[in-house]
Parts: sequence; C-alpha cells; structure tokens
Amino acid sequence: MIKRILLLRGTEILCLLLLASIPFAIDNAYVLGLLTLLTIYGILLIGLDVTVGYLGQVNLAQAAFLGLGAYAGALSVSLLGLDMLGALGVSMLTGLLLGALLAFPALRLEGPQFALATLSFSALSTTVLNEWESLTGGAQGLSLTRPALFGHAFNAPGFYWLCLILLALVWMAMRNLLASQWGRAFEALRDSPIATDAMGVSTFRHKVAGFAFGSSLGGLAGGLYAFNFQYLQPQSFTYDLMVILLLGVVLGGRKSLWGAFFGAALIVLLPNLLSNRLLFELISATGLLLAIIAGGRGWLKKTTPAFQALAPIIAMSLLVTGGYLVENTENWRKAIFALMLFAVVVGLPDGIMGFAARYLTRLFRIAPATLAKPSNLTDVLPLSPSDDQVLLELKNLTRYFGGVKAVDGISMSIQKGHVHGLIGPNGSGKSTAVNVISGLYAPTSGEILLLGHPLPHGSLFKVARSGVSRTFQNLQLFGELSALNNVMLALKDAYRIPLPMVMLGLAKKEDHRAQADALALLNLVGLKEQANVHARDLTYGAQRFLEIARALACKPELLILDEPAAGLAHPDAAKLVLIIKAIRQRGITTILIEHHMNIVSELCDVVTVIDGGRVIAQGTANEVKRDPIVIQAYLGVADDEPVIASS
Amino acid sequence: MLQVENLYAGYGSSEVLTGTTLQVKRGSVVALIGANGAGKTTTMRAISGMIRPTQGRVLLDGKPVQGASASQIAKLGLAHSPEGRKVFGPLSVEDNLLLGAYAHLPLFFGYKGKAATELAKVYALFPRLNERKKQAAGTLSGGEQQMLAIGRALMANPKVILLDEPSMGLAPVIVQEVFSIICKLKEAGVTLLLVEQFAKSALEIADYAYVMERGRIAVEGTPAELNQNERVIAAYLG
Amino acid sequence: MNLDILAQMVVSGALMGLIYALIAYGFQLTYATSKSINFGQGELVMLSAFFSLTLLNLGAPYWLMVPGGLLFGAVMGLIVERACVRLSLEQKSEGWILLTIIFGLLGFSSAENIWGRDDRPFPSPISADALNFFGISITGLEIAVALGVFLIMSIIELFKRKTLLGKAFEAVSADRDAAELMGISATKTIMLSYGLSGMVAAMAGILISPITTVGPTMASALILKAFSVAVVAGLDSGFGVVIIGIFLGALESLTSFYLGSGWREAPGLILLIMALAVRPNGVFGKANIRKV
Repeated sequence: MIKRILLLRGTEILCLLLLASIPFAIDNAYVLGLLTLLTIYGILLIGLDVTVGYLGQVNLAQAAFLGLGAYAGALSVSLLGLDMLGALGVSMLTGLLLGALLAFPALRLEGPQFALATLSFSALSTTVLNEWESLTGGAQGLSLTRPALFGHAFNAPGFYWLCLILLALVWMAMRNLLASQWGRAFEALRDSPIATDAMGVSTFRHKVAGFAFGSSLGGLAGGLYAFNFQYLQPQSFTYDLMVILLLGVVLGGRKSLWGAFFGAALIVLLPNLLSNRLLFELISATGLLLAIIAGGRGWLKKTTPAFQALAPIIAMSLLVTGGYLVENTENWRKAIFALMLFAVVVGLPDGIMGFAARYLTRLFRIAPATLAKPSNLTDVLPLSPSDDQVLLELKNLTRYFGGVKAVDGISMSIQKGHVHGLIGPNGSGKSTAVNVISGLYAPTSGEILLLGHPLPHGSLFKVARSGVSRTFQNLQLFGELSALNNVMLALKDAYRIPLPMVMLGLAKKEDHRAQADALALLNLVGLKEQANVHARDLTYGAQRFLEIARALACKPELLILDEPAAGLAHPDAAKLVLIIKAIRQRGITTILIEHHMNIVSELCDVVTVIDGGRVIAQGTANEVKRDPIVIQAYLGVADDEPVIASS
Repeated sequence: MLQVENLYAGYGSSEVLTGTTLQVKRGSVVALIGANGAGKTTTMRAISGMIRPTQGRVLLDGKPVQGASASQIAKLGLAHSPEGRKVFGPLSVEDNLLLGAYAHLPLFFGYKGKAATELAKVYALFPRLNERKKQAAGTLSGGEQQMLAIGRALMANPKVILLDEPSMGLAPVIVQEVFSIICKLKEAGVTLLLVEQFAKSALEIADYAYVMERGRIAVEGTPAELNQNERVIAAYLG
Repeated sequence: MNLDILAQMVVSGALMGLIYALIAYGFQLTYATSKSINFGQGELVMLSAFFSLTLLNLGAPYWLMVPGGLLFGAVMGLIVERACVRLSLEQKSEGWILLTIIFGLLGFSSAENIWGRDDRPFPSPISADALNFFGISITGLEIAVALGVFLIMSIIELFKRKTLLGKAFEAVSADRDAAELMGISATKTIMLSYGLSGMVAAMAGILISPITTVGPTMASALILKAFSVAVVAGLDSGFGVVIIGIFLGALESLTSFYLGSGWREAPGLILLIMALAVRPNGVFGKANIRKV
C-alpha cells in the first residue's frame, strides 16, 4: 500500500519538480516556449481524453474549444479589461457553456454521427472566428497583451510556472474525479449505456457533464494559449490541429493522465524531431523494430490477427523507406503523423503509455489498492417484511411493434415478497413485457402501477430511480470496470457530495463506505475474492452473478431477473438458486423469467404463463405444469388428443 | 447426409453446446426438440457456420465443413432457414426467393431465366407467394414470411435444409398450414433437420428425433419410442 | 429585390448541391452494408481528381480519363476498406472513424507533396459558356455536373435493383446474417460497397474539377457539406440525399449572396447539428428500435 502511494504519487511530484526547475537550469527562450506549450497541450489533451478515452467517442471539436477559449480570453482582456484570473475564468466558462450547448444534441448520437456533429461544430466555429471581423479581426488575426494577476505582471518563466501550476491542479482534479462515481459512470456508459440507465445512473447527465468538463479544459488551455502567443488567428484552430490532438491522445494512450501528458510532449517535440534527419531516421527505425517485435510475437502466439500484426510493420516500413526517398521530411509531416498514428491505432490500441503502464506495474510489482472491510449485509439491504400488499400491478398492458403484437393485453399483479415466475414459449412476449416494465420500451397502452403509483413510461433511468432494477438476458456488464466498480456504480443513494468537492478530493470517505457496501453485495453472490477483476475477464457464470449483485445495489423494491440461468453449467445453476433464495429471504420481490422448469418450481411462489402476448395461466408451479392449456402452448398438442400428465 | 460429431460451441465465454452428436440420413426428416435454452438453435447455428464450433466435426455429405463461414457452407449445399424467419424486408418476395439460389446463379444478368424451374416449383408449393411476388417481404404476415423463408431455403436445391422453429409466434391455424407444408416436403424427399417447440407435431412428421437437454442429446429414437418416453415431457416442463 | 438574381442563385446553388448529394450517396453505399463511412472521402475525391488530371496531362483522351479516374477511385476505396475498416468491423469497434481520418491525412499530405500545393485548372471538352434559360444562365459545365450525377447514380441504382449481385447488396444491408446463410459473403459485399463508393467519389472529383480547379484543399469544404447532406437526409434514406443536396446548395448560395461568401459554410453546419438534435436518423431515415 505504502509502496503504491510512494511510487505513483512520488513519480508525479518528482516530474512536477523537475519540470518546475528546468527554467533555473537552462536559460533559453526557445526551450521555455516549448515547455509552456507542453503544459498548455497537457491541459488540452487531458480534457480531450475525457471524451475520447473515457466516454469513448471520437471528438473532433477540442481544437475549436481551444480557439474559442483563446478568443474569449483575449477579448475579455481587451474589451472588458479583466485580469489574468478573470480572463482564464471566462475562457473556461466559454468552453463549459459551449461544450454543454453542443453536448445536448450531440450526445444523443453514437459513433459516426457524434464525430460528424463535432466536426461540423469546429468548422462552424472557424467560420465564425473568421467572419466576425469586428470582434475577432478575422483572418488578419488578433493581437493582445498578457494581463497581470493581482497586479503582478508575468515574465516568460513566470507564465510558464503559472501554466505548470494549472496543469498540476487540473491533473489532481481529474484524478479525483476519475476515482469517484463520476469516473465510473463515464466508463460505464461507454461500455453499456442501456445498463447505466437501468442502474439509475443517468447516461445523459454524465455524458453532458463529461463533455462540458472536457471542453472547459479546452477553453482554459485556449486562454493560456492566447496569453502565451499574444497573437491569435482562426487558422490555428482548424481540422489539422484537431487531427494532431487526436494523435497525441491516441499515441500517448487513452484513459490515462500520463498518456495525455506524454501525447502533449510528442505533439510539442515532433516538429523538432522531424527537422533533424538523423533523429527522424532513428525514430522510424525504432518504430519499425518495435512493430516487427510486437507484431511477430503476437502473430506467433496467435493472439493477434495477421492483419493487426502485419499492418503496423507495413506502415513503419513505408515510413523508413519514405525517409530515404524524400528530401525534406518536414513537408511530409502530416503523412508521417498519419503512418505513425495508423501503426499505433492498429497495433497498440492502448497507446504507448497504456502499454508502458502494464509493463511498469509488473516490473515494480505494484499491488492493487487494498479494499475496505465489507459492511454488514443487513445495513446494505435491510430485511423488508413481506405482507399481502400488491407491489406491482399491470393493467391491460400492450406493446406493438408495427403489426406485431408482442404484448397484447397483459393484466397481472405481483405480491410483495414473492418470487414471481414468468414463463412461456419462445417469442411469447415475456421479455418484451419486462422491457416495457423496466422502461426500455414505452407501452403502447395500459398501466403499470408500483405500490399503486404509476411507473414512468419508456425511461430506464426513471424506472430504475422509482425502485425497479433488472438484469439482462444478454449480459450488459461494464466490461472495462472491475467487478467491484460494477456494483459500486449502481449503489443507490451512496454519493451525495457535489462535483466541485469531488474534484477537490473530498469524496474519498464516501467512496470508501460505498466500497464496503458493494463488497457486502459481492460477498452475497460469492464474488468478493474477484472484486478487482475486470468484469469481462470473469467466467460466464460469475458475470451472471455480478449482474445480480449490481441490480441489488440499486436497492430495488422490485428485482427483475431475465433468464439468469441461460447458458449456465449445472454447478452454477445450483449456485444461482441459492443466491435467489438468499434474495427472497431479504424480502425483495422478484420477477423471474426462466426456462428451466426445475428452477422455476424450486423458487417461485406464483408462476404466470404467457403465450402470444397474453396471460394463459397463473398459479403455483405444479398447477401450471398440469394445465392443459400450458402443455398445449409448450408442446403443441391438438385439442382432441389426450394430455399426458407429467410425473 | 449430415453428421454432427461431438460438437462444442457457444457465445463468448458461455459454452452452450457440450458435445452434441446427431445425424440426418438422406431423404429423412429429423426433429430436434427440447426445452427453450437447451441449445437447439445454437446447434443449428453451429452447423451452418453462423457461429464457429470450438470442438467437434460437422460432415456434409461426408465432407467436413466445420470452421468454414456461413456463406461457404451455404454454397456447399446446406440451407438454413433461421429462427425468426429473417426475410429481407425491403426486397420483394421474388427477390428474396432468387437470393435463396444466389450461390448457383449468374451474378449480373439472366439469373431469372436460370432460376425459373426452381421458382415455379416454389410458387406451386406456395401459391400465396406467387400472388404477392412483387410485394416487399417485410409487409407480409408472419405466416407468409415463414413460407417465404422456407421457399427461399428450397431455391438452392440444397442437400439438407435446417428449419428453425417454423411455428414460432404464429397463430394455431397457420401453424397447421406450416406443418402440412413440411409434410409435403417430406413426401418430395427433401432432407430436413427440424427444430421445433411443438414437440408433438414435430414427432408426428419426423422419421427420427433427438431430444436436447443442456447442450447435448439426452434421448433419441423414433417418434413412436419417444412418444412413450416421459423424459420428453420432462424436458419441457421439468 | 431582384427575382431574377434570386432564381439564378437558387439554380446554380442547387446544381452545386448535386455534387454534395453525389458524395453523400457514396456514404450511403458503405453505410448500408457496414454501418461505416469513410471520413477521408474528401481526400479520395481530391486524389482521384489529381490522378485524372495527370492522365490528361500524360495525353490520355477525355473518354479514357473518365474510366481511368473511376477505376482509381474504386481501387482507393478498396484500399480504405482493407486497411482502415475491416479489422474494426471484425472487432465491432469504432476504430474505423480514426483510421479513415488517418487515411485522409496521409492522402492529403501525399497529394501536397506529389502534385504541389497550388490549385491547377482542369481542362474540359465541355464549354464553360453560359446558356440562357428563362433569364437564368447555366454553364455547360454545370449541366454536365447534373447529367453526370444523375447518370452514375442511376447506373448504380439500376445495378442494385436489376442484377442479382445488386440484390445481394441490399440483402446484406437488410439482414447480414440471413444473407450469409444464402451464400452471400458479407465481407465481399462490403468490399464492393467501398469500391463503388470510391468510384462515386472519383466521379464527383472529375465533375467538379473543371469548375473549382484541382488542389489539395479542393474537397475540404465540399466534404463537410456532403456529411451534412448525408446526415440530414439520413444515412440510409436512398434518394433523400438528392433533395437535401439541392436544398442545401441553394440555401448556401443565397447565404453567401446575402451575408458574404465567408458564411457560405454556415447553413450546412447548422442544419447538420440541428438535424442531429431533432432527428438523429435523418429527415428521411427510419428510427431504430433499441435491443438488449
């Protein structure tokens, strides 16, 4: 534990001190300029990494936010006469507000559409900066003077230190943020937005906040950029810069503060590296060598497909041979970027720092952080007494898809404390019914009442907040999060500290308590020992159990288990029965969709049979099993044939 | 004609099939029945190459085909009419049928002439499809879509047809119609592997049947034998 | 306000809009089969134009240059598919967005260094003289653009509707798994769609070059508007792109007339962001149902 803190924090502090002391050692305006740019790009890329790394979206607007922040800062000095602090505040606010404004429409989109929306936004902002000549000076550019801070005017090293301090602050705020519920939510909604909403964590809120936060860092970096160069031109913030910024994040390594910093260093240094012929040849040769070693190893071990192993080698070979053929490598700067980026994206998807981090963790044997002591389960999931109250009532519920009547008038009620089985042949409408209840689909008509109050329609998030949580037939885990974080994300009412305090690192205690609670739930499903394992690395059975633990973390009134035994081997199925029994003991009402009749018989107090989108029978498991209508639905026996009773 | 030996397959980390073995003789109708989640559909998908088996062999006409892609296996003479019918909604009924014979037709022109005999055969079997041949397949009723899916599988004159849950989600009257069509196919000597939820109806048609439980064959035999077997019902209703 | 000038603006803008529609149509082709598009398509337009110009400069006759340019575009499309798209699709990731952007960057830099940064004229046998229709003057080049756009779109649509291969193309976009079961290889169909899309981009380059001249940046503004058209119309909407393309072209020409030429990019961009916010699947697109 101490070793971990020492190594991780120690490196950060050492690096900071080193960077801070360089101006004392080297008195060189050029070097100082590069260092200042490094800190500014560092802030910019940390912001970009929020969307590209954590939210997993290709964001092409960060260069625009840099530009908008720069102009906002510059204008607030020249027009409003603000000082450094005020102007940087305006820059940041500009990024934040415009980011939020863009986020509202854009974040409903996925993948290519999101990239296109951000691309349009950057083109639009370039147009505005160019054309609003009365304000921005248009293509002529805008000159400004660096403002003072509390009457203190900055010289070059002074401004560098200011930038460095801001980078350190951003770094800390970001680290605190990522270690909190916010960081978990960012990663969760990338892995499965549906499950995030279904766990009562609003994807929309976190996406908008994440994007706006990243953009505000873009704005802040813009302000610093303006005061560093003291001259602005719209052409500096176009698509070209954006591609280079993406290069920085991806090459450095997504989802990593060090990766963003390393990427910034690359961006700043690359032009210099390219102008020196020998250095360039050295770099491209090293790149080729790395590609051959990594690709060859992966290919021999059959862990990487042939294309993935070969493509980086081809790209780097092109770079090396190209280096010999062309006269002026600087003219080919973009092509060189492109080839390097291609090799990294294909061959090293985690980026250079991601690769290095894995290696270093092993080298220094950095152990994962020690975990809290699990809470008492009763404190997490209090026993609720079962009475004869009706918990959930469906009144004539329908859901049509075009002409297909998937749910065609289901009325039923579920009693508090019961495990209520929902069975029926394939395509009978069970899954659609629970998808309507849990808010994935809005009902076509009908009513859903929870404890007499209507449930919200068609919103997973709102239904989850109302006390209904669920698992999914096709697993919807957050694969990149650990088992523990999967459960912690869903934990209801555990996180109350507002965002600014979280960034200041004041949410640690709250998080510790949440961790203890989550461990209690993991213990319930027998996964406490695997708390730190990534969900995607768990065995299939363990993944099913983790989904149950995660659903329980929502502290639901009603738990919906959608085919929890599907694909489970026999020992795991037996374990599942024990887990559901334990849940029933705590008095949690459960809807169980299941095909394995022995499991249904063993667990369910009441069973409802659905066929053709309607209820065809209801009763205890044994009653429905003998019901001729049910047997016909399952076996297709014609009416006049004798029904064979089951043993 | 079709032999499946000790097949293992699944999705991601979940293994659904754990050593399935079955065979379908030339000209016979074989039913594969069992409860939901027992692995019937997965068996079909593993045979036709929609998922790659992790172990075991699939022999089509004596030649191993496991590991090949679905399109390659289709070209070798296996037609799979998948669960949920999966007709090409925006395309016309006739186009759907023509695509069923894709592997054997010229790609650019003259394909219609070459497919004329098959097309006529399918239209004779399903007059309703002939009536609606210009209509977009997505606008057909469920039963008509099922007939189209079967017709599409017939178009390639395959060695074996895999028919997955032809009765799923259909009204009882239509279900009977679908079964009578399967009877006709049987009379015509088509080799058929049928996955069906309605075990009783499937057993009436089949020459031989396998009952699946938890990813492998639990019981097999002629329909007469299986009708007496309590495990068949147990497989469905526990 | 002079109605004649207004009509003139609308008509010549609309004719430009057809080029946007054509490039957007290229996006639809690949989106239909693979749900992916080439973000470097603009560079593909530009590279094909440069290649065609080189053919002409080498002495190739005009009738040979056009198929040569189209072939070049198709080959480039295939390279994009192989190098940038296939792996990501197999891994079900969105890496193709970044990789195609990278491809565009490489193409841009290569063009800059091979052909130079200057804009060059692109000779055309069609006269640039204006013809007068009801007081609206239209140049022969503009008519050629309109004809060329409709010609290539009709040929591809005919191919899709009349040949079995074309129907297979539609089958893959309707249901990829089912198409595989018919013996249609989805991978090959995606390759075909990228080849066609590259060809369409090359056609756009050849048609527009005589009007705009050829240079490394010739397509950077063009492509943004093609994106807008594709998204506003819906990436799976067929001929909707033509309507939106014409609309956007006209709107933009009016904007540049009334607000100044610097603002001509603005309406497309605003339209795109608004369309995405209101109808993420496009004006003519279909809503999709979420599945779990």
